[in-house]
Amino acid sequence: MSIKIIKKGLADSLQDKGRYGYQHLGIQPNGCMDFMSAWLANSILQNEIDQPVFELHFPTSHLKFEDDYTICISGANFVPVINEKSIAMNCAISVSKNDVLSMLQPIEGKTAYLAIKGFIQEEPWLGSHAYSGVRLEKEDQIHFTSNNTFNELPNPISNEVIESIQKQVFDHKSHIRFIPGPAWNELNQESITHLIKTPFYISSQANRMGFTLSGPTLNLNVPNHFLSSAVTRGTMQLLPNGEIIVLMADHQTIGGYANLGQIILVDLPRFAQMKTNMPFHFALTNLDYANQLYREIHEQFKH
Amino acid sequence: MKCTINKWSVYALGDHAIVFALAPSVDTTTVNAISQLNQFIKSKNIVGIVDTIPSYHTLTLIYDPNKFLFPISNFSTQLISFCTNVISAFDEQPTQLLQNETNIINVPVCYDSAFALDIEKISEQKNISVQEIINIHTADIYEVYSIGFLPGFTYMGIVHESIQIPRHEKPRMHVTAGSVGIAGLQTGIYPTNSPGGWQIIGRTPWKVFDPNPNKLAKFKVGDRIQFYPISKIDFDKMNENN
Repeated sequence: MSIKIIKKGLADSLQDKGRYGYQHLGIQPNGCMDFMSAWLANSILQNEIDQPVFELHFPTSHLKFEDDYTICISGANFVPVINEKSIAMNCAISVSKNDVLSMLQPIEGKTAYLAIKGFIQEEPWLGSHAYSGVRLEKEDQIHFTSNNTFNELPNPISNEVIESIQKQVFDHKSHIRFIPGPAWNELNQESITHLIKTPFYISSQANRMGFTLSGPTLNLNVPNHFLSSAVTRGTMQLLPNGEIIVLMADHQTIGGYANLGQIILVDLPRFAQMKTNMPFHFALTNLDYANQLYREIHEQFKH
Repeated sequence: MKCTINKWSVYALGDHAIVFALAPSVDTTTVNAISQLNQFIKSKNIVGIVDTIPSYHTLTLIYDPNKFLFPISNFSTQLISFCTNVISAFDEQPTQLLQNETNIINVPVCYDSAFALDIEKISEQKNISVQEIINIHTADIYEVYSIGFLPGFTYMGIVHESIQIPRHEKPRMHVTAGSVGIAGLQTGIYPTNSPGGWQIIGRTPWKVFDPNPNKLAKFKVGDRIQFYPISKIDFDKMNENN
């Protein structure tokens, strides 16, 4: 009753909504980079939306199912295949014992999610199965209850919802919206103009901890020192060399760099899926709008 | 969203966090007020608040935007009234009920040259004997101002001016768990083996972070700590990091 890694991927891990309640001890929350695609995969299987999923980066692990399962793949399109036969994304798929899932080619996005119908049978650490320094290695086995009582599930999520989530996550022409942070007013005027008008790119220095951006160099009016305070997923830190690093799922709990703002939650999945050197624009938004958008999107997953 | 409520400045940190800040300062009054507000808010078990993170002059609340508050009109108006209520209820609390435990945690440190990788160099640079550095480092009571960088890594202060020294320009690739370092006005303990830039002057035999859910971090923000010197023989007897 398990799923076995038969070939190690680049940086695959088990993730869920993350580990909260321990950041005051310096314990990072972790969790899915593109949580919306993970919600989608779980919803299609009628799981709770925050159930643990496999987060897969290209080249992905090869996973062997040691039992019959119903699965769903969402997020990045890496051309998923079962025993080398291509399978559809964003729908429930039945797999049989000894089937092998692999992915052929990175067409779109950076992280794919594999959800399993049923329940994980592993011990969580502090209430979460999210990656905490351990990546999926060859021969690892992750135990899930098998669920082979049905062949095909009716899709409980309408195509409209799937399309709207896909658009939210993969429409790269959309701006990345942020709410100004405590150091916003310390940016000089030229830097503010740059931040809003000039395109930025995700540099090759991008991992689950944070994405360093390429783009115009930004400066504070007066170089400043800040006492460290809490940062969040989406925090835009200005490094002393004028570069921005955006903190992602495995961010440290506190930071001492200038906090320019935070990318809003609903835009983080799209940001997480952006490839290196793809230009994008930032745009200012506000708390009320961000809160409303998040609630509206979350509401779509209720069934 | 940004407002001032009594002595607190309160601002939204994006769409899932809110910060209560005092004037930036590294001192006892500030860290006590922050950890008292933290305890007060935690004791209220507010629906939707998933983390409270004290650090120096700030307390940050992380919330689940889908569960925290129920916006009838706009969210920020509700958030401001939530924060105002928190601060006025906090200010009405008799302070003695919130007083931190004033117990001092005595932490053993072995300053033997086998562990104190940088102490000789500090001694030369500051023209103070190694023994004097040990005396100074163990004389003061330090407060924990912040925890972060690694699970259980404590930022404590204030280190006496006579032994203050900047961190290494280039961090060491490997610092052993338990290593006690100083950097500027701060001192701290490396909870696990990791890279690190602080000047290492000793090592504690204590395991200051244990992933066992019943143990986790030995210290929290607001704790008061005093180091005491132990011999290499005692260190080996007490060592919990093996």
